[in-house]
Amino acid sequence: MTQKPLELILARNLMSALSTPAFLVDEGGVLVFYNEAAGLLLGRRFEELGAVGPDEWGSLFGPFDTEGEPIPYDELPLVVAVRNGRPAHADFEIGSVDGSRHQVEASAFPILTAHGSQGAIAVFWPASENGAGS
Amino acid sequence: MKVKLWGTRGSIPSPGPETIRYGGNTSCVGVTLSDGSLLALDAGTGIRNLGLALAAEPARLHILLTHLHLDHIQGLVFFAPAFRSQTEIVIWGPASAEASLRDRIARYISAPLSPVEVRELPCDVSFRHCPTAEWEIGPARIRAASVAHRGPTLGYRIDDGDSSLAYIPDHEPALGADLDLLEEDWISGLGLARDASLLIHDGQYTDAEYPDHIGWGHSSLSHAVSFARRSRAERTVLFHHDPMHTDEQLDRLDAEARQRWSSGGGAGGGIELAKEQSEYELTARAAGIASAT
Repeated sequence: MTQKPLELILARNLMSALSTPAFLVDEGGVLVFYNEAAGLLLGRRFEELGAVGPDEWGSLFGPFDTEGEPIPYDELPLVVAVRNGRPAHADFEIGSVDGSRHQVEASAFPILTAHGSQGAIAVFWPASENGAGS
Repeated sequence: MKVKLWGTRGSIPSPGPETIRYGGNTSCVGVTLSDGSLLALDAGTGIRNLGLALAAEPARLHILLTHLHLDHIQGLVFFAPAFRSQTEIVIWGPASAEASLRDRIARYISAPLSPVEVRELPCDVSFRHCPTAEWEIGPARIRAASVAHRGPTLGYRIDDGDSSLAYIPDHEPALGADLDLLEEDWISGLGLARDASLLIHDGQYTDAEYPDHIGWGHSSLSHAVSFARRSRAERTVLFHHDPMHTDEQLDRLDAEARQRWSSGGGAGGGIELAKEQSEYELTARAAGIASAT
């Protein structure tokens, strides 16, 4: 068992206390946690799913563009943040396990430390709650 | 590996008749490795007595600092070996993007806080940032990792032969987390403490005090016991006593810790509160630990 970096541990602890949907990936792009609010959005709790590799999590929930087409993995804010070490923002739709779609705004930022990038956090804001994207 | 507690108190020295048995000196633990090499874990006021006990030896020693809060470095300028020209001292500590370890320590060892400057210390002193990978000192393998506290803070793991010591004196692993439910790899510090022969861990607050100190970087008694249980350390010593806690209060906390430990299925003698001057001889885990005092 490998200990997670402290920055990821603290990020998860913070995210657990938020009512805003939030996602956490490690430096390799593995989805290592999302919080209860994100679970409600996706229709599945993280505890049911577990960690998901970078090649899988995109296909599990979309995301989809305004035409309903899957957005390329490399263009997702979380991926841009973890790979390029800079924040990224996008509007898109994600799919829930019940087949419904949710339009969201997503902002991601990298977790940069003295030892380099440890991963990235993305916060989702349902577009219907602030009028954006409508 | 031999371990001696030279300072067990947190925050500020608290000498007086009410703290005689558990001690009033701040954090310092002496570790003698199997080849006789000496490590000092932190340099609180307890390091003064460690230095006095060393007489004219050794020629070289290592000080491993968890972080630079004053209760962990205050004893540096009162450490006798630092004033001997024949002594070589290597000080290890956490890196910071803001300044080097030497420059950060020099803020304390300089005017007007100190009568001497780092450059004036007669000993041969050097400062090293702890690497992220394991490294060796004498026969020991040393590992440092960031742990949940205020500011850049490390915990240490020292493996010497088949025995191991985990030292995490300032630690709040339960901040925003349930230690009883969380997966092991998501618990701060657990990678250092797992299966250690001896775990020295923060246990500053009572459960009643903790709610008023959430986020201060320290553990409640219950959290410390839970962490110890999750670590499966052979023996745990709760450390960094609150300066307001008298010997009588610490006796009660010691009894409570033992009760919580045994009610959770822990073996007898698996947990206790740290007492200044206590000594432990660590042998292979299966062979157990001998307590000299």
